Amino acid sequence: MSRRYDSRTTIFSPDGRLYQVEYALEAISHAGTAIGILAKDGIVLAAERKVTSKLLEQDTSAEKLYILNDNMICAVAGMTADANILINYARQAAQRYLLTYNEDIPCEQLVRRLCDLKQGYTQHGGLRPFGVSFIYAGWDPQRQFQLYLSNPSGNYGGWKATSSGANHASAQSLLKQDFKEDCTLKEACGTAVKVLSKTMDSTKLSSEKIEFATVGQTEDGKIYHKLWSAEEITALLKEHDLAKDETAEDK
Amino acid sequence: MSKGLWAPRQPPSAWCWNLAWQAGHARAFRLKLQVRVASGQPELPPKQASWTELAKSINNHHPIFPHAFNATMEVLLGITGKDFTLIAASKAAMRGVTILKASDDKTRQLNKHTLMAFNGEAGDTVQFAEYIQANAQLYSMRNDTDLSPSALANFVRGELASSLRSRKPYNVNLLLGGVDPITHKPSLYWLDYLAALAPVPYAAHGYAQYYCLSILDKHHHPDITLVQGMKLLNLCTDELKRRLPIDFKGMIVKAVTKDGIVDMEIDNDKVVKCA
Amino acid sequence: MASGYDRALSVFSPDGHVFQVEYAGEAVKRGTCAVGVKGSDIVVLGCEKRSAMKLQDTRITPSKIGLLDTHVCLAFAGLNADARILVDKARLEAQSHRLNLEDPATIEYITKYVAGVQQRYTQSGGVRPFGLSTLIVGFDKGSQVPRLYQTEPSGIYSAWKANAIGRSSKTVREFLERNYKEDMDREATVRLAIKSLLEVVQTGAKNIEIAIMAPGKTIEMLAVEDIEAHVKNIEQEKQEEAAKKKTGRTPGTGSAAILTRTQES
Repeated sequence: MSRRYDSRTTIFSPDGRLYQVEYALEAISHAGTAIGILAKDGIVLAAERKVTSKLLEQDTSAEKLYILNDNMICAVAGMTADANILINYARQAAQRYLLTYNEDIPCEQLVRRLCDLKQGYTQHGGLRPFGVSFIYAGWDPQRQFQLYLSNPSGNYGGWKATSSGANHASAQSLLKQDFKEDCTLKEACGTAVKVLSKTMDSTKLSSEKIEFATVGQTEDGKIYHKLWSAEEITALLKEHDLAKDETAEDK
Repeated sequence: MSKGLWAPRQPPSAWCWNLAWQAGHARAFRLKLQVRVASGQPELPPKQASWTELAKSINNHHPIFPHAFNATMEVLLGITGKDFTLIAASKAAMRGVTILKASDDKTRQLNKHTLMAFNGEAGDTVQFAEYIQANAQLYSMRNDTDLSPSALANFVRGELASSLRSRKPYNVNLLLGGVDPITHKPSLYWLDYLAALAPVPYAAHGYAQYYCLSILDKHHHPDITLVQGMKLLNLCTDELKRRLPIDFKGMIVKAVTKDGIVDMEIDNDKVVKCA
Repeated sequence: MASGYDRALSVFSPDGHVFQVEYAGEAVKRGTCAVGVKGSDIVVLGCEKRSAMKLQDTRITPSKIGLLDTHVCLAFAGLNADARILVDKARLEAQSHRLNLEDPATIEYITKYVAGVQQRYTQSGGVRPFGLSTLIVGFDKGSQVPRLYQTEPSGIYSAWKANAIGRSSKTVREFLERNYKEDMDREATVRLAIKSLLEVVQTGAKNIEIAIMAPGKTIEMLAVEDIEAHVKNIEQEKQEEAAKKKTGRTPGTGSAAILTRTQES
């Protein structure tokens, strides 16, 4: 029955649903988990890498986490190729705003730009929707630190802690349990790795299996964002006793 | 000098100068010459040149805006203080030597905390200002927040820059003042038709610059209160009344504070005599 | 099933249906409910609001009620993302109208524009219609007359005294038909809007949003406490009425429908 409405382009089914969008959401739930947690002094994004290989250049081939502009980063869940298009678009939009107003684009506006594009692909000319959800972490002077989640339909929302991708339901309930209002960035990082370790199949993690990024504020009030290096991730994992025993593994 | 000198093809500003000369307002003319020297523009034509040519050369020296001179008699002033920005504009709408209106408002409110004052080519000014105003308001409606004065100033600069490089550029000079909606810091921006942008503590456009900037240099302080700001503004307008060769019909004064934009009272009927 | 004619975008089926438009209507019915009620000197929009989940950031909640211009307000039922696009277009048109014609657009003008955009998406190639119905309210410049319009995915627009769109809109509309009175004052109008929403919103004030438009003023969002007070008041009245029914047992007041009619003051 539903076969009639699921091919070619995005159109309404008789009960007013958009199957293509729902299928896109389905595609995302097969992708690696991504989570984001809002702390009082920053935001942490963490994501599970699907492609792992000893031969992969770890520093240069980010799969899940991307920088959008000087004060915003995002995590991707879904089709990475689609995500690249959208990220490119977002980066351009951010720079265009900077050029026009000499100010960084407010977070919600950048999210909305992207979502408007995503919406377009659910309504116009024979195209499939983007199969990507994003978790955005950013800062702007009006609302300080903010965390957003957007999905293929072009909807978005603001969150204190959120997740996307495989096992996002269980990740979400774990976050609901573990999230503390007004936690520090450091605590949030701990929560993030704990949640990830539980939603991923293996109990012990290694730096090549996850990506990690934070947005924070330096002591002189400057906003920074940082994609973590493998060493830093390993250190964090060790701290929380989640690291795989690498000596046994490596040699 | 024969009547034939004022050919109808001449721009209105050339007209104005010829008339001014005839009326014996030599000082005004001298002033124009000083401006030319001060701004490092080419030397005057040789003495034997007819006054028509001289007038033409003065008024036509600008490649894009042969009429640019007219605007310079329209007064725009801006002063920032501790928690406010004052914007003042003369009330006379002029065309050549004729005053068309004595209650012209050369300002537009862009959003709750930002005000823009403009002078320049008659049609261009309002067209451009209202275009900017509409864009500012559209932004406010779409995003449920207002653009900051600095963002607006940069936006305006961009619009002027692309206009300047178009087939028919706008000839508008602007002062843009406001209070940042988040930090509540007052700011003032000086923009001209060449899309120059400068954040300044106080500013003027047109001939007012030559009379007022020295006064402001001497008396302005970043921490002045609104009352002190008004006093300073009165010093400026007094000097303008004393020195400007035309009656600019008084000023409209508006103050931007964190609570919004309010009209300020100013005594426009005060008579100031020149020594 | 009219085979094939519901798949290609926006074409007639042999029996004269444009299925995509009708299906878009179904998307509207899946959206949360919104009502609009005109009083004598104000007009009220009410919305069912989904309650925020624990981890949601309450600072950022895209509302179902939005301003198109300072004097025009819109509420929608249907797809959120579609609404953003449509509202954006309407806002641009409102500002463009101001710039070109000096005066703010009339409510009917904006409604026509919104409906026009919706219509275009039922007839252009390769697009699906907007899955949206909207209620557009406000006051024209210098006018004291409240306006309330509705637009539909097909591009139809119509003027109403009171109307509802979205989930269970039929129930709410019927309720409004029974209880609407001409020339209601501010309190009565707000009350009727809330009361009608309570027909479908079980969870009370925290899931209701109320916006009030008055002539020459911009939007006023009613505070949660005020809505709370209204809800309490209404519920109390309902209980008293029910109690009276039990003891008094007046004939012909068996159904809830009639019950609500008698208590509206």
